[in-house]
Amino acid sequence: MSTKLINTLCPFCGVGCGINLKLDSNDQLVGVEPQKNHPISQGKLCDKGWSTAYAITSPKRLTQPLKRVNKTFYPISWQEALSTISEELQGVIEQWGSQAVGLISSARATNEDNYVAQKFARAVLKTNNIDHCARICHSPTVAGLKQSLGSGAMTNSAKDIFSSDLILVFGADPTENHSIIGGQIIQAHLQGAQLIVVDPRVTRLAKLANQHMQLKLGSNIALINAMLHVIIEESYFDKTFIKARCDGFEHLAQHVKSITPESVEKLTGVSAQLIRTVAKAYSQAKHAMIFYGMGITQYMSGTNNVISLANLALTCGHIGKAGTGVNPLRGQNNVQGACDMGCLPNVYPGYQSVDDEKAQEKFSQAWHTEVVKAPGLTSLGMSKAALSGNFRALLLFGEDPAVTDPDQNQVKSSLKNLDLLVVAELTLTETAKLADIVLPAASFAEKEGTFTNCERRVQKLNQALAPIGQAKGDWQWLQALAKEMGSEQLNWSNSEEVFNEITSLTPQYQEMNYQKLDDNYGLQWPCTNNSPNGTAILHSTSFPIGKAKLIAVNHSDIDEMPDEDFPLQLTTNRLHFHYGCGSMTRNSPLLERETPAGILFINPIDADNLNISHFSAVSVKSRRGYLETRAILTNDVPLGLVSMPYHFKEAPSNQLTNTAQDPVTKMPELKACAVIVTALAQGKIPKTIEQLQQES
Amino acid sequence: MKIYLINDLQRLQQHLAKNYQFHQVVTNSDGQCHWQQIASETTKPVVHDPLIYEKPQSSAKAFFFTEQEKVLVFNGEFFQETIPTPKPFVLFGVQSCDLTAIHYQDKFFKDDPYYQARRQQCLLVGLDCITPCEHGFCPTVNAGPGVKDGYADIILHPLANKQWLVIEQTNKGAQALKDLVFTETHWHYLTQRDLVLHQCEKEFPDDKYITDGIQKINSDEISSEFWRKLAIQCLGCSGCTTLCPTCSCYGTRAIKQDNNHFSQQRFWDSCLYEGFQREASFNNPSAEAGTRVQRFWQHKFGDEFFTEFSRHGCVGCGRCEQTCPGVIGIHSVMKRLTEERGQKNGQEDTNA
Repeated sequence: MSTKLINTLCPFCGVGCGINLKLDSNDQLVGVEPQKNHPISQGKLCDKGWSTAYAITSPKRLTQPLKRVNKTFYPISWQEALSTISEELQGVIEQWGSQAVGLISSARATNEDNYVAQKFARAVLKTNNIDHCARICHSPTVAGLKQSLGSGAMTNSAKDIFSSDLILVFGADPTENHSIIGGQIIQAHLQGAQLIVVDPRVTRLAKLANQHMQLKLGSNIALINAMLHVIIEESYFDKTFIKARCDGFEHLAQHVKSITPESVEKLTGVSAQLIRTVAKAYSQAKHAMIFYGMGITQYMSGTNNVISLANLALTCGHIGKAGTGVNPLRGQNNVQGACDMGCLPNVYPGYQSVDDEKAQEKFSQAWHTEVVKAPGLTSLGMSKAALSGNFRALLLFGEDPAVTDPDQNQVKSSLKNLDLLVVAELTLTETAKLADIVLPAASFAEKEGTFTNCERRVQKLNQALAPIGQAKGDWQWLQALAKEMGSEQLNWSNSEEVFNEITSLTPQYQEMNYQKLDDNYGLQWPCTNNSPNGTAILHSTSFPIGKAKLIAVNHSDIDEMPDEDFPLQLTTNRLHFHYGCGSMTRNSPLLERETPAGILFINPIDADNLNISHFSAVSVKSRRGYLETRAILTNDVPLGLVSMPYHFKEAPSNQLTNTAQDPVTKMPELKACAVIVTALAQGKIPKTIEQLQQES
Repeated sequence: MKIYLINDLQRLQQHLAKNYQFHQVVTNSDGQCHWQQIASETTKPVVHDPLIYEKPQSSAKAFFFTEQEKVLVFNGEFFQETIPTPKPFVLFGVQSCDLTAIHYQDKFFKDDPYYQARRQQCLLVGLDCITPCEHGFCPTVNAGPGVKDGYADIILHPLANKQWLVIEQTNKGAQALKDLVFTETHWHYLTQRDLVLHQCEKEFPDDKYITDGIQKINSDEISSEFWRKLAIQCLGCSGCTTLCPTCSCYGTRAIKQDNNHFSQQRFWDSCLYEGFQREASFNNPSAEAGTRVQRFWQHKFGDEFFTEFSRHGCVGCGRCEQTCPGVIGIHSVMKRLTEERGQKNGQEDTNA
């Protein structure tokens, strides 16, 4: 039974729910409860949140630094770890230059950790090689919305769900991935809001929706352009809003003139009639709100998909008001914050461009050192450069690219090719197994700081436990490493001091401080002189770029269509039981029990044709890889489409996925590739990828 | 059974805190109510907070049936049970719904040594509710608002002018009070208590849909299609079963340590998980979410369980309504059940 209750934040998705950690008399975390008065979660949690205690009290937690010699890890002291890393880094920089080293930070770490990570890269290592996993979730959001609206974040707030008359969920599965927001969408729908779902799969919300547009993979732009065609042809658009607030309408109107719903029926698989119905419903609703997710971004056309959605909202004037907007659902608890902090190769904190001379000067002055001008590499760029030998040393924390990045085999060989790989983690993840030095990281319950949720709410994280063993917070070990390297650039005594430096350099965070965050359940940026209490709705009177831009975009085919050799299409999805690579959620005996370790969703007719029964073992093969897993027969996926979650290291979908990229953001096309599925002999147990690789 | 009239609750709190580990519901800085151990000081008596009438977010069940516990260890040679040995403790101010739930679980865990080891050490001081709480409907399921006879060792009933009635219920309660010099009072205060509780009962909102719903659950009138549809909204979070003060499902697992040692852990489980009843062969009698949701409500309101426990499995606290992200807590489900009749008469269910 607990004796102490610490109020803090749920460590999983971008919704940012309030959670209380229950500690027993020995300061052991025994359970959690939701915060009844939290403005977003209002006394609710999802299954991931409820199992938080298992996630961080795992017996598998790393408690001391480790050094790998061949295939074995040996415990070493922090001092030895830091001096080894320091020497190796300096050696690489001397021989290959600063462009050969880099850092991948974590959307699961705090703003303070992320800020310090990019400062470490830019001020100590002297490189812009800093990135994090937003690359593979919402980089197209940042790029697309920035062009269209001038700001790459959720325009509205979670509470707007209840002031919306129509909710359009586009390529997102919120009840699984952002369950609390998903539940609120259900609640709003039960209270009378229309619900329209656009998804190739029959998601939970699709089962409840008024309309489900079950489009084919990768046909988002064609579908939206056809909707725009109807909206313009029928004069459903918001003339006043467009005139006052947008540029580019004439060109867009011209562009979609020939894209009739009938002309895209075959391409999208959605009937012209349904396209017309939804176009009318969305445009004519008084307040209509768009939520979208990875079904928009994880395509080669990711950035254009995002621009398309912005076109739709702008044309109908559904932006800048309560219950409207273009709202990306962000995956990690702090992916918004990691972007805000400038853990991207092209921007400093607050999206100040690294190309901009004024910004270069500002940060050089603030950090008392000349910042580097050469552009940096993205995470996939670092991978590629590592393969070719131009990138030699990588520090990485709180991410598991060996499981979560596309084309695992390539990722692994590139990581193996490095002279130095340092990974700070909670447990020995697949990526950590490849590291030369592994550092034990403090979990969210063991540190103080802030997380920024998907509605731009910067919230305070409170420390509940002492770090396990010798584990350290990320900014603390980065600071220690900087000192080891002879740099005095990183020098704070607590996270509040780091946060104060953040607010002094990040315009959007300007008026925030820890006390104000504590007093208000967090504050939503921009929080400036003009909006000292934060901003719930963006763009209510103007856009950061003045007028919003309507940008005509074209449908482009997905990179790899099914053919004779690989006749089925594979897409990826997530299960509400698990989070990311499963390194936290799979420690829960309850969540781990819910599914076999690796599954493939397949339509019963396809399964029947292939002689596959429910839970039977199957093999899945693409041009890039092969794996074995178990089949789940379900009508939730249409004929010809199979779907896999990426949580399971035993059967990782990223063995199969395509690395074809969005030209703007290098976002890989994780949502579509071609595969062949075969039944394995009856009674056969699927082999894990590790077993398969050992055999070959 | 003695009845006392006291002016100063502090004296009672301080007295009990001397002899027991003292737990009371407090409000934290976010306005959330929760059970909290109040540490006693050796030098001077602690000033205790006044009692709160709001129900705590988590009920008292974890005091006896813990979230996670080691039930045995194997040291390479022998198995050893790990029966807890808690010091005597008092739960000061347990509301009627949660006391009813403890009474219910006392039956369920009658022969469970881990539960009983903690339960025996506990002194329950019950607190009468004199106003309805959010989502609460204890009178409808015969679980409040007043503390039921025999469900607590001592009952506290608030009177005007910050006075309290202290009602002894058990020998354990009498023992706990015996060194205190309190004024015994007249039984007519009990009549006054009855009137106040009766008035409180009348203030609860009309919830005929709940009694109707209970009848329907026991009538075979509800189609499996109704449960299937309803269960689309079950996000499998386990919030209802975690917060429900009577839910008692648990799982066990072996936690291996180095050198052949291991311990067996038991942990709160939830019957709404698909894996709860799945067999190793993948056969699962409740593979469909609809079946699981139906089973949950059947356990709470089914006649067969009423017979076994002499009451419903639901104590009317309403925590499931508050915590269910899919909007299928008690009130929502019972209202939907009532609408179900309309549907059978051919009306459209607008929420489908």
